[in-house]
Amino acid sequence: MIELLLFAIPASLLILGALIVVFAKNPVHNAMGLVLTLTSLAILYITLNATFVAMVQMLVYAGAVMTLFLFVIMMIGVDKPEQTKEQIKGQKLLISGTLILLVSVVVFIGLQNGLNWNLLFPQSEISLEGTPAILASALFTSWVFPFEIISILLIVATTAAIALAYEFKQSSDND
Amino acid sequence: MIEVTSDWYLTLSAILFSIGFLGMMVRKNALIMFMCIELMLNAVNLTFITASKHLGSVDGQIAVFFVLVVAAAEVVVGLAIIVSIFKKQESASVDMLSSSKG
Amino acid sequence: MGILILGVILIPFLTSLFLKVIGKFLNELLTNFITLNAAMLSVATSFFLFGYIFFDKFKPLKFELFQWFPNPEINFEFYLDGLSGVMMVLICGLSLVIQLFSTSYMSKDENYTKYFEYFNFFVFSMLLLVLSGNFLVMFFGWELVGLSSYLLISFWSEKKSAARAGNKAFILNRIGDFGFLIGLMMILNEFQTFNFLRIFESSLETIPENLDVIIVFLLLGAFGKSAQFPLFSWLPDAMEGPTPASALIHAATMVTAGVFMLVRISPILQFSELSSLIIISMGLLTALIAAFAAINQKDIKKVLAYSTISQLGFMFIAIGSGAYVAAIFHLVTHAFFKALLFLGAGAVIHEMHHEQNIYKMGGLRKKMPVTAAMMGIGTLAISGIPPLAGFWSKDEILASVFSRGGIYYGFWALSLLAAFMTAFYMGRHWLLIFVKEPTSDIENIHEAPKNMTRPLILLGIFSIFIGFINTPFFHGLEKVLDETLKSVEVTHLPEGITLAILAVLSIGAGFSGLGLAYLIYIFDIFSYFKIKLPFLSEIKLLSKEVLFLNKVGNAIFVRGLKTLSRKVAVTVDNMTIDGIVNGVAKSFLRSSQQISLAQTGLVRNYVVYFGLFMLVLIVIYLFSPGVLI
Repeated sequence: MIELLLFAIPASLLILGALIVVFAKNPVHNAMGLVLTLTSLAILYITLNATFVAMVQMLVYAGAVMTLFLFVIMMIGVDKPEQTKEQIKGQKLLISGTLILLVSVVVFIGLQNGLNWNLLFPQSEISLEGTPAILASALFTSWVFPFEIISILLIVATTAAIALAYEFKQSSDND
Repeated sequence: MIEVTSDWYLTLSAILFSIGFLGMMVRKNALIMFMCIELMLNAVNLTFITASKHLGSVDGQIAVFFVLVVAAAEVVVGLAIIVSIFKKQESASVDMLSSSKG
Repeated sequence: MGILILGVILIPFLTSLFLKVIGKFLNELLTNFITLNAAMLSVATSFFLFGYIFFDKFKPLKFELFQWFPNPEINFEFYLDGLSGVMMVLICGLSLVIQLFSTSYMSKDENYTKYFEYFNFFVFSMLLLVLSGNFLVMFFGWELVGLSSYLLISFWSEKKSAARAGNKAFILNRIGDFGFLIGLMMILNEFQTFNFLRIFESSLETIPENLDVIIVFLLLGAFGKSAQFPLFSWLPDAMEGPTPASALIHAATMVTAGVFMLVRISPILQFSELSSLIIISMGLLTALIAAFAAINQKDIKKVLAYSTISQLGFMFIAIGSGAYVAAIFHLVTHAFFKALLFLGAGAVIHEMHHEQNIYKMGGLRKKMPVTAAMMGIGTLAISGIPPLAGFWSKDEILASVFSRGGIYYGFWALSLLAAFMTAFYMGRHWLLIFVKEPTSDIENIHEAPKNMTRPLILLGIFSIFIGFINTPFFHGLEKVLDETLKSVEVTHLPEGITLAILAVLSIGAGFSGLGLAYLIYIFDIFSYFKIKLPFLSEIKLLSKEVLFLNKVGNAIFVRGLKTLSRKVAVTVDNMTIDGIVNGVAKSFLRSSQQISLAQTGLVRNYVVYFGLFMLVLIVIYLFSPGVLI
């Protein structure tokens, strides 16, 4: 029963947060919805024995990334209400078509398989706790090369962000 | 007694992904669209973690780790782009950006 | 031993390729060194091969390079027998002599190396033609000689007339080749093979019903290549090319390809009465028209060109009357004395600073004694004066025609007339150049350089003695061709007193032709006796304009085709084809304009497209076999 609750409560919070992200008008509310989603996701990670990833999720996403988002929201301002009216011609039609197709696919699969995922592999007997020790032993042995590459990616991204945001004084000649 | 299986998590992940995608389609604010992308990325992460649990392997969590880093990098660059767009047109609406129109 | 055949063919090809690749870095001396050595090598190889099959009693030598097509079996094969052996030695030998001449004649030309490149390429193509073992390889050679002839005719392509002459030669040859190609297709359809020997063998058992049609199509090719009526007008124009090239291509070898081909297919040709009649009548017509045209030409080379056409007509007469040996014999002797005449003309042109009008020459005998003597030998040889080469071969042709009897008596008489005219125009040619009182200043004219006179002397000696390879007393060439023509019924010479009378008559024709030329052009008999011939100027005009055949042909074909093609261009091309093409283009433009509307540049639109496509992929996956069902 506890197991079910541990799934159901974070899951419903997660969906709620996601819906807030999509439908809230105020960007700050959107960001808060995202925090809700990410936090409940971290709880779900813990129920899935991925403790280290849950911690990283809290630190990186709910902490760092969300701070970034809020900073940007503050920079570009929240007072300007977003135009809710659809301006793109045919966009409504396309969206509803896509949604109808999605729903029909889901219904079709449901009728065929009874919403059963039919996973190729059975549930594993081993219960692996995703501790930092285990993760690190995998990360720094067999995954060390991708790990190094991803660190280079981070540096490049940081440099790119600085280059994009920094105001170069190039236009002085044109003045 | 209902047992929580991997199928539940996978279904949840699919719902989260669909909501994120819906947000991508309906919202005009580039910032909100970014948040929706985060939602979709997290849906994928949830799938990875579920698979990790289901298969009894740590590799899924490693993949999530990488996705996290990539998402962080993407947010950094993406937000920088949004800021510079905003500086130019005083709005974060993507509908104003159609310079690649055919 | 068969691989040596490939060697003979490849030497000029590799030389040509070599000159093409490094031609930019070569001066004249290095080019000479390369090309002359290669020519000598190929002469040596060809003589060795000829000696080999000579001692092997002319047993054919076959060499198969590779199988091209399995069913019906077509191989890339070569075949060396007496016939191709004679041609091979002739081509290689003459090419060496003429290249030696060219080193002097083409000297100081800016495209010196290119000339030898083309020249060697021609020799390669011609060898490919004569050494081919089946019709397809022969067709390659056939087309390639056409190409190299085109290249050499329009060698001085900055001259508009040269470029035009090259085009004309190419187009008229194409008409013939078109027929040849159709003939080849019919042969493949009929015999299921291109191989000469197998075709001949199967035709010995059963003669195909449409043999006449096949041979008439092949004849069209031969007429085009060998400049027979009505496809002969390209040859006089081809004289725009360098004179030594004309000597090899348009006198000695390429134009005889048609004769060679007809002798090659003689085992099937003999079964077709109709085509024999066509060959002999066309040959006769050509011989007479060309001889008549040669009488009043003023260009030193055009006289020789018409003379070549006329002599080729003689060869066709021989083939038509079944005297294949005589045809090849005349081909060989003609190659020597006509090459001699052309090279002599080249020497004269060279020394006269590219003056080609024979009325502006005259009296050159004293200035250029060697050239005059050698061209004199050539003139005597072509006129049929014994014991020079031309007498034996031409007499053999005339006698062979005579011995067929019946209607062939008439053909014989007309051939004799052509022979008389030959002697007349050749006599005029030589006398006007070398004997007549000079009409222009020739003080500064000198004898040609040694590199020119030496080939002339060599060819002169050959022109005297080559006739002895096949006399009524010694049938040398006949033995060489024995193996080739073993299943062919060859017309033989008449015996004894008839032959002697015929010989005397043809000698008489030769002497009287030369004598008449002397009387008219040197002695000037008309003004001496104050004779006024009726219609003289009209006849002169007719001869000069080649019976207006060119003009008629131009009016009918060129202008008619032009008008027709213009009409076709307007209706078919402009309206139909352009309409279709433009319509397609326009529809693409419109549709792409429509489609590009989908490229809104709006990110959210793209997101939707992306999702739709993903869903479509999922649906496809779901319905692919083995997923749900």
